[in-house]
Amino acid sequence: MRRIVYREWRIESSRYWSWLAILAVVIAIGGMAALYMEHHGHWVTGMTNSVVWGTPHIFAVFLIISASGALNVASIGTVFDKAFYKPLGRLSGLLAAALLVGGLLILVLDLGRPDRLVVAMTTYNFSSIFAWNIFLYSGFVAVVIAYLWTMADRKGVPYTKPVGIFAFLWRLALTTGTGSIFGFLVGREAYDTAVLAPMFVVMSFAYGLAIYILVLMYSFEQDDRPVGALMLKRLKNLLGLFVSGVLYFTLIYHLTRLYGAQTQNIEHFILVSGGIYTVMFWLGWIILGSLVPLFFIYHPQHGKNPKAIALASALVIFGGLAAMYVLIIGSQAYPLEMFPGKTVVEFGAPGDIGGVVAPYWPSLPEFLLGIGGVAVALLITSVGIRVLQFLPESLADRVVDPHVALAEGRGR
Amino acid sequence: MTQLALVIDLNVCVGCHACVTSCKQWNTSGWAGPMVDENPYDAAPTGTFFNRVQTFEVGNYPNTETVHFPKSCLHCEDPPCVPVCPTGASYKREDNGVVLVDYDKCIGCKYCSWACPYGMREVDTQQKVMKKCTLCIDRITDQSLPEAERKPACVLACPTSARLFGDVQNPDSEVSIAIRERGGYALMPEWGTQPANHYLPRHKNRMHITEDDLLRTNNPLKKEDITVYHGEETLEDVTW
Repeated sequence: MRRIVYREWRIESSRYWSWLAILAVVIAIGGMAALYMEHHGHWVTGMTNSVVWGTPHIFAVFLIISASGALNVASIGTVFDKAFYKPLGRLSGLLAAALLVGGLLILVLDLGRPDRLVVAMTTYNFSSIFAWNIFLYSGFVAVVIAYLWTMADRKGVPYTKPVGIFAFLWRLALTTGTGSIFGFLVGREAYDTAVLAPMFVVMSFAYGLAIYILVLMYSFEQDDRPVGALMLKRLKNLLGLFVSGVLYFTLIYHLTRLYGAQTQNIEHFILVSGGIYTVMFWLGWIILGSLVPLFFIYHPQHGKNPKAIALASALVIFGGLAAMYVLIIGSQAYPLEMFPGKTVVEFGAPGDIGGVVAPYWPSLPEFLLGIGGVAVALLITSVGIRVLQFLPESLADRVVDPHVALAEGRGR
Repeated sequence: MTQLALVIDLNVCVGCHACVTSCKQWNTSGWAGPMVDENPYDAAPTGTFFNRVQTFEVGNYPNTETVHFPKSCLHCEDPPCVPVCPTGASYKREDNGVVLVDYDKCIGCKYCSWACPYGMREVDTQQKVMKKCTLCIDRITDQSLPEAERKPACVLACPTSARLFGDVQNPDSEVSIAIRERGGYALMPEWGTQPANHYLPRHKNRMHITEDDLLRTNNPLKKEDITVYHGEETLEDVTW
């Protein structure tokens, strides 16, 4: 294999700055949305006392698990010694850190009291999985920065493998922790299951890789750098494997809950009668987010078409957001059954309802805050690849595959 | 160990909401306040309440009954909302078992709201922290008040005395006796959270009065002499 040369992202200044300006505007709008919600309180959003985590959390959780998934590409090169993936490591680390920062920003700005972040960082209750996640998230950024240094600096090369293994274990812990935020909740019928933790790990593999593929293809295409068919084939096959994994875990999760009489009601709600949540599950999560991408990925012709691969990746991302919507919002909207078999006809004081499906519709500020977080992740990535040598100059087949290079050499 | 709690008699609760309004009044003006109200007079009012009355019907028409079920934090002996709090803002007082929120430590992440299987946590959108029933902690621990007034506002306000307050760990307390002798039960005990608040079930009182019961000389229901006299001498003639 040839020596990999990394170069800054050299698109024209005007295009680069225009792109940054667009992102800055989106971030500013997101910031204003956060300020609006902070100033007035959450009652101006779609959130209620029943649905306490809304659209911002969908984006936040999605970005956080995608962050750990994006790092997976580097781990395959470093931890599992797949030389093919080594050129992709730097971008993988950068994207992981950027996505995590974007997700965390949304999470923090959606807190009731973002001004008390210092309290969250200094006062810990170690019996709370949420408190552990604060460590896991902030630690992840530090570990990824160290990992990037070992990949980018010659002095750090001897440490690449041990740091890479540590980062891999850390990312597994992070996604397990994120899944356990929901898995440890005994009070909600949709949760209280260990399977959510590994399901989130597999989801992170899929969503992180889908984002990675799109960022890689876009940045290379803009800078006229080649991505070889072999590289794309490897990446899309890996994506197909991960999407299948998500489908498998989804099937096990729902089968388990369908089997027991106690959880059949919520299953009926999600799978049959839940309105928007049922649509999001079948159309968003399963059909558009899993089956259609799998069709494109494994189709003999479409599977070789970069545009189809990009479309499949985009659909996986859409499916991921739909999955988060069903998992996070759907399970809150489903009522806590306080009086089994009885319908609460009146809920006393005004302000909320009990015993029936809680109404929730994403409000504009919530959506804008979520998009703002995505823009932050993209901004960090764009600046990172522009000023530092993160992107390989070429990912053409002869550069990344020694066999192709050898065959070409012989042919000559 | 002391575990203060409410025992609510569903048999006499008439759903008048006096507990709701007195709770709001006391707590919005006190330690836990102010409790937000947004658009209180509009079509879609919203606000924070520590105590709400849920009303549901039992039976099938025409044999239906309406049950009013006042519900506030149940002050579980093993509260699931406490271990999940990342900053330790949710805590259970060791001296009296009341579950409280330290508003200065709460970051408003709302994770406790997810954990409570009874849905009793409410976010105050003005102070942007989680709130819940405090059992009027600033009132029940106020030694300057006469002892009879050291009770939650809802207990003092209930016109039918449907709400009892006391230590459920003390077997001789009024609440423990009520639970023991009148079939008191906890809401959803299957969660294993051991709710301290209990409910006394609804029951039918049926009374059969025969003519003999009414005519007996020592009949306590007899308010006046219903004997029909026909000119003979009565006790009144003798004494007057």
